[in-house]
Amino acid sequence: MTPVAGIGLRAAHLAAVVRDRPATAFLEIHAENYLTPSPAFDTVERLRADYAFSVHAVGLSLGSTDGLEDTHLRRVASLVDRLQPTLVSDHLAWSISRGRYLNDLLPLPYTEEAIDVVVRNVDRLQETLGRRVAVENPSCYFSFAHATLSEPAFLSEVVRRSGCGLLLDANNLFVTTQNLKLDPRVWLDGLPVDAVMEYHLAGHAVNDADGEPILIDDHASRVSAPVWSLFGELVERFGPRPTLIEWDADIPPLEILLDEAATADRRVAEREAGAARAA
Amino acid sequence: MSTTRIAIAAALAAAIAAPAVTQAQGNVEKCYGIAKAGKNDCQTDHSSCAGTSKKDGQTDAWLAVPKGACEKIVGGKLTSS
Amino acid sequence: MPLALRDLQAEMAAYLVSGADADILGSIVGDTIPAAARLRIHRHQLYESLATALAGTFSTVQQLVGDPFFRSIARAFIAQALPAQPVLSEYGEGFPAFVDTYELARGLPYLADVARLDWALNLAFNSPIGRRLTAADLSSIPGEQLPSMKVGLAPGTRVIHSTYPLDRIWSASQPNASTAMVDLGGGDAWLLVFRRPDDAGFIVLTEAEAVFVTALAAGASLEDAALAAFAANARFDLSVTFSRLLDLRVFVALQQ
Repeated sequence: MTPVAGIGLRAAHLAAVVRDRPATAFLEIHAENYLTPSPAFDTVERLRADYAFSVHAVGLSLGSTDGLEDTHLRRVASLVDRLQPTLVSDHLAWSISRGRYLNDLLPLPYTEEAIDVVVRNVDRLQETLGRRVAVENPSCYFSFAHATLSEPAFLSEVVRRSGCGLLLDANNLFVTTQNLKLDPRVWLDGLPVDAVMEYHLAGHAVNDADGEPILIDDHASRVSAPVWSLFGELVERFGPRPTLIEWDADIPPLEILLDEAATADRRVAEREAGAARAA
Repeated sequence: MSTTRIAIAAALAAAIAAPAVTQAQGNVEKCYGIAKAGKNDCQTDHSSCAGTSKKDGQTDAWLAVPKGACEKIVGGKLTSS
Repeated sequence: MPLALRDLQAEMAAYLVSGADADILGSIVGDTIPAAARLRIHRHQLYESLATALAGTFSTVQQLVGDPFFRSIARAFIAQALPAQPVLSEYGEGFPAFVDTYELARGLPYLADVARLDWALNLAFNSPIGRRLTAADLSSIPGEQLPSMKVGLAPGTRVIHSTYPLDRIWSASQPNASTAMVDLGGGDAWLLVFRRPDDAGFIVLTEAEAVFVTALAAGASLEDAALAAFAANARFDLSVTFSRLLDLRVFVALQQ
């Protein structure tokens, strides 16, 4: 089986990746770190010769009623043009309001009005880049009282109207469904199978919010057992897809990320072997 | 050409002819490597916003005092006023 | 009647910044965990993640005052100057001036200059390396033409002047620095900050050298810049300085 798992390339590992050239299916970068002509950008551009890349934006703010910011969109488009990545993605979230950038992936109320906003922004992004992009399900810590749609119904409608793909983050899905007391298997029902372009995997923390546990998407540990199990469910339903190990805080040595990626590949291989036996 | 201009031309020509002699005086501080490149990584992780504290971070601000390498900086004027 | 999405986003943004009671709390399903506790996660994220980004840019300031105090300055700055765009390596231009006016840092009058150095290093790091002028590029130019030449500083190159010994303060704040004390009255410092292929760095200049580089940056010819430097200090060594600057590749290549 061809490996599907890649790792999030973080600045702390740039030198080690350049030196060791570890085998991995792909490297994913956060677009916003590479929009200036820094030595880090030069390094990534050199690595591009040896690796497949995925460009994961964190600041396009696909859910902003302000629309996409012209300069930022142009800079991301220029990066995508330079690197010619396999995948481009951002989140179902907003982070800009009235020209102020809040540096967070803030949730949307799942309403018809918000679908119009997201579809308009995704359309513009796809038109500018001249390619299909993937939209990622966010980690949610609350829902809005006036929401009229479930998150998967909302995502499905965005896919239907814009033609975009989906990036399913198994950890975000687990965090959201735990925090909002939903069933992740039900959440997955009815998602458009063909739209799924990539999976994300990461660790989370369990915190205390006024006496109640709440899961925090902190990208600071190994993938948890229930998220591995959910990942198996995703592969079962939607098939193997490029799968990313994300780690953004308390970043461990590169070997740990590669080990997590190897686990993801092993899980996919086990599923495929199981499916072959069943057939 | 004036004497000064001749001297300046000679000094510049000497600098071009013998570039290596002054290298020891370069003494560049290495201070900003590529490990500093990941500032946007902190958006996707919520590690610093645990939600455990009942108070907002801001309320702690007034309790913090400078405590670091500044303890090695002594003398001179103590305030900017 | 629920808020229009545009107003909801503006109200939530205002709440995340101020934490002041707002109608937005009524739009959020609270159940066993109150809406305020849920929103607090995002409120912390806004302040702490931006403070982390500022700590990356202003790492010398952070080393000097320690992380808790740095974060207290950073939070106060963030509250009144959120980023205007998402690229965080470009966030914090106003931070040095803010540090200068920050009441609790009044005992550290050099701190704003340290912040200016950090910002200049950050700018240099994020500037293109491009083609740089070398001594070899100039070797074919007749000597008598050199004085009237103009050489431009490469992007990200700039002179920082401080009335404090900024280079020694910087050295003392590095992770493996000695425990030797730095005398704040040690005199002025002039630093030249610039991008290198793999990082950004700085060197210490004399006052006359700083005058020379500043004149070149303003568009003066090599001769006029040299005359300005001689005026600042008659012992200015043009040959050594120009050679050193060429070695450091701080000038842009000549137009072909």
